[in-house]
This record gives sequence, structure tokens and C-alpha cells, in this order.
Amino acid sequence: MRQKRTKSIILVTVASLLAVLFIFPLVWMVFTSFKTLSESLASASLLPREWTLANYASIFSASADSNMVQWTINTAIVTLIGTALVIFVDVLAAYALARLNIPGKKVILGIVVVALTVPGIVTLFPAFYLFKSVDLLDTYAPLILPYSAGTLGVFLIYNFLRSFPKELEEAAYLDGASQWQVLTQVIFPSIKPVVTTLGVVTFLAIYNDFLWPSLVTNSDEMKTLTLGVATLVQGSNFVNPAAMMASTVVATVPALLIFLWANKYFVKGVTNSGIK
Amino acid sequence: MHMSNRSKWFGFIFVVPFLISFLVFWLTPLLYGVWISLHDFRLSVGNNGFIGLKNYVDILTPDTLYYNTFVNALKNTLMFIVLSVPPLVLISLALALLIEHLPKKLKTFFRTVFFLSYSISVTAVSAIYLWLFGANGGFINNLLLKAKMIEAPINWTGDQPYAWLVIVIATVWWTIGFNMLLFVNALDEVDGALYEAADLDGASAWHKFRFITLPEIRNISIFVMITTVIASFNLYGQSLLITRGGPAQSTTSLIMGINTTVFGNNQLGVGSAMALLMGIIMMVITGVQYFASYRSEKEEAPRPLEEKKRFKRAINLGPTNVNQQPAATTDKKEREL
Repeated sequence: MRQKRTKSIILVTVASLLAVLFIFPLVWMVFTSFKTLSESLASASLLPREWTLANYASIFSASADSNMVQWTINTAIVTLIGTALVIFVDVLAAYALARLNIPGKKVILGIVVVALTVPGIVTLFPAFYLFKSVDLLDTYAPLILPYSAGTLGVFLIYNFLRSFPKELEEAAYLDGASQWQVLTQVIFPSIKPVVTTLGVVTFLAIYNDFLWPSLVTNSDEMKTLTLGVATLVQGSNFVNPAAMMASTVVATVPALLIFLWANKYFVKGVTNSGIK
Repeated sequence: MHMSNRSKWFGFIFVVPFLISFLVFWLTPLLYGVWISLHDFRLSVGNNGFIGLKNYVDILTPDTLYYNTFVNALKNTLMFIVLSVPPLVLISLALALLIEHLPKKLKTFFRTVFFLSYSISVTAVSAIYLWLFGANGGFINNLLLKAKMIEAPINWTGDQPYAWLVIVIATVWWTIGFNMLLFVNALDEVDGALYEAADLDGASAWHKFRFITLPEIRNISIFVMITTVIASFNLYGQSLLITRGGPAQSTTSLIMGINTTVFGNNQLGVGSAMALLMGIIMMVITGVQYFASYRSEKEEAPRPLEEKKRFKRAINLGPTNVNQQPAATTDKKEREL
């Protein structure tokens, strides 16, 4: 017993040290954003000697080349509509594939699985050029619509429904419910966990996407936070760690909060994408 | 069952939104990309006519511009895979084993902490590591100078091998939580009775790990390995933002090279051919990994423990586990795309 206790104290200590190491870059980011420029360049300590909000004032000021407010609005629009669209499209498709006897079912299921194995890079530049051809670059359309072509969501919900007992639905049909009623009143409530998982995973994927938005966006006004901060990192903030960390904090905190709030679902989503 | 012919087609309506989206944003770009790669296609003026496989020949002819771009980027990307995959797989397994042996109450806390950095963007990761490892005024250099461990600042992001070191550290910190989570889940699934039986036989911790844990998490290990290689193939943001592909283009990745060909050289045709070649290389390497691990499984002799486990499974008539799904080779790591 004693030996077991010693062992667990050692393990907890090791885990705590590692946890400090993992959290450190994030904590350093937050504290650096409150340092003055000169201190941030010379500092070898974590905490600011002199606390300042000047970095936040500068990235939100009208004169700066940062457009934080507009980028935040864009990010909210793109992630919320994009996530809703993915859920809508994927739930309907997965339901039909798992439960209805629709024509071409096997072909569609085959497509879903095969598409998962094709690397994303092969569709990226042609998709960009298609949007360019129809003059939709620098609009919300390419920032929102293409995410709904992903097949992972269909795959996840399809598998969930397949393992879910059919009795409830059959009882509802016997009671005279229509297909639509079964979908909205029986299926939706029961697949809530996996849909929430998909929602969180999709939200963060769109929120954090970098390469695709960088291809289809030209103007500063259309950038998302992730893309906007990247241009700051490459541009005016390149020599200013304090301001760079302030913009990074602004761009990161929403993602971190959503992650912590939905941690459980996110964990499930990752688990579900795995195999045994 | 409840299906008349009419409701059969009514049901089809449900898949229409997905099919449209898939056709427009996936299948069309895929086929269009193949078509573009067979043409002299400029980003600015469009199609200059069919040229067959010339783009591919150009990319594969030594000492031409596109050959140098592609091969250099491929070499760098393979280098990154070699440097990043072992720590991403082995350290994540070590973290998962650590979490598995912690007191129950603390498991969730540490799992969340190790997974936290996975939720932030490559932009944020790069910004943080750019200035932790900044050459002049970076935090690590300031620390080392103050502790008198170095006399002059180290050019972390501008000199090799430091540039790779920083990119690998940043990537490991960013994405290791994902692999760890997969391993934690797999370890949770290992039948406790196997360990109890081994304890009765007086097996050591190493023997239990080697002969129970490893075989039991074999499938997930292959999955982690394959998805990590794919994710590392897609290196882009870290090397663009932290090292700007340098020094001397030594961290310029495949996606960066394709990007330069399309936007810098105006060659959408050549760029599309490069992207398809990259996709083919990725699928071949994934296939080789998959079949190599499948074959080595077949060659292994059946173990007595396996038999015991099968028996356990046969009598276990619990509810269906929703997690039992075939492989999906996609994950958030591909969001770098």
C-alpha cells in the first residue's frame, strides 16, 4: 500500500511538471501581451514589471493596419453559418443513408469513405480557381460553403445511427408519425451528442483554418481572425512581441473558451474518428 | 419496410444537399485539377492549351526550376516527417500511459491540460514560438543570456538545425494532445482481466506492457502513425510564419512550394500537377504503412493471451459500442489545409 502511494505521488509530480511545461507558452503569451514593447524585448521573467494595456489599445486603434473588430465579426459569421450548414447537410444525408432505402445508397456510402482517404491538397487550388472564375473571391461564399463538402460528419453520424436501436422509430411509425416527424422528434434528440461533437470539431476547424482563407481572401476587410493575425505576424507586429501576443490573445481566447466549455464533446469527437 | 416507391425518392431528397455540395466543392475541383494539370494554365490569363504530361515531365526533369522547387520541398517535408513523427507518436503514448496510471480524480484534469493547445490556430502557435525563440529579444535567449549559459544570442529561427528544432517543438506542443487522446481511449479499452491474470503469473510491468498493452493498442498505434505522417506532410503554417521557409529554403514545405509555383510563378498548371503528385505520394506512403502493418500482424504467431481475450469478448454481450468504427483517415490535423 505504502509503495503504491509513493508511486502515485511520483507520477502526479511528473504530470504536474509536464503540465506546467505545456501551459507555459499560453501563460507567457498572456503576460507578454501586458508588457511594454521595450520590456517584452528585454524580459527574462514571466510577469510584467510594468503592466500596460497599450498593446490592446494599439491593435484595436483605427490607425493600425489591424482590423480586429471586422475580423472578429467575419470569424463569427463564417464559423457560425459554416458550422450550421455542415450539421444540416450531414445530419440529413447520414439519416437517409442509415435509415431510408434510397436509390444509389451503396455508391454514396462508397464515395463518403473514399473521399476521406484523398488528401485535401489535390482539391485546394482548383477549388480556389473555380471561385476566382465565378468572381466570388473575397466574399463570404468561399469562406463558408466548401466545408459542407467534407464527408467526415456524414461518416460519424451514419456510424452512430447504425449502432442506435431502431425500435423507437418503428414505434413512432406505428403510431402514424410521418418521416419528417420521426426525423425531428425521434432522431434529432437521440443524435444530439454526436451532432454536438461534430459541431464543436467543425467550429474549431473553420475558426482555425489558415491556408484556405489565405487563398480566397484578398482584402483586409474580409479576413478571419486566424488569417488577420497571421498577416500581423508577418507584417507590422513582426518586430513587436508585445503587440503580437495581444492580437494572438484576442484570436485565441474564444477558441480556448469554446474548447474548455465543450471539452467533453471534443474529446468524444476525436475518439470517434479513431479505430480499434 | 415503410417504403413505397414514392417515399424512396422522397428519402433521396435528404442526401441532395450533401451531394450538391460534394459535387461542387469536392469532385469538380478534383477532376478540374487533373484537367488543369494537363494544360499550360496560367493563374492570370487562364488556359493556353493542352500540353499532355508536360507539366509532370517538367517537374520530374532534373535541374529545372520546377524540379528544384518540388524536390527541395519534398526533401524538406520528408525531413520534417522523420523529425516530427517519432516524438509525436512516442511522447503521446508516454503521456497516455502516465495519465492512465494517475489517480482517477486527476485524469480528466491532466488530459485537458495536455490537449488544450490543440484548440488554437497555427497562427497563434507560430506567433508564440516565433517570439519564445526570437533571435534578438526572444524570451529563451533572454533567459539563457541572463543565466550566462550563452554569450551571444542563438539565431533559433534563422540557423539550422535550430530552425527545424523550433518547428518540431512547436508542432509537438500543438498537436500531441490529439494522439495522446487516441491512446488514452485505447488504453481504457484494454480488458483489466488481462492484467489481473498477468499479475497472478507474477509478470513484471515491462512484460505486461510488452505482451498485453502493446498488442492490445496495436490498431490504434497504426492509426496514430498513419494520421501523424499525413498531418506532417501538410506542414505549412509553422514554417511559413516561424522560419519563412528558411534558412536558405531549408524549411520550405511542399504546400509552400506549390503555393509559390501558383502565385509566385503564375503557374496554376504546374502547381496542380505538383499537388496531385503530392497527393499520390501521400496515398502511396499511407498504403505502404497500412499493408506493412497488416502483413506483420499476419506473420505473428497467435498468442495465448489473444485466445483468452477472444473468449472474454465472446461472452461479453454488452451494448454495442458506438466507438467501434472502421478507419477514418481524416482528423482535425488536416485543418492545416
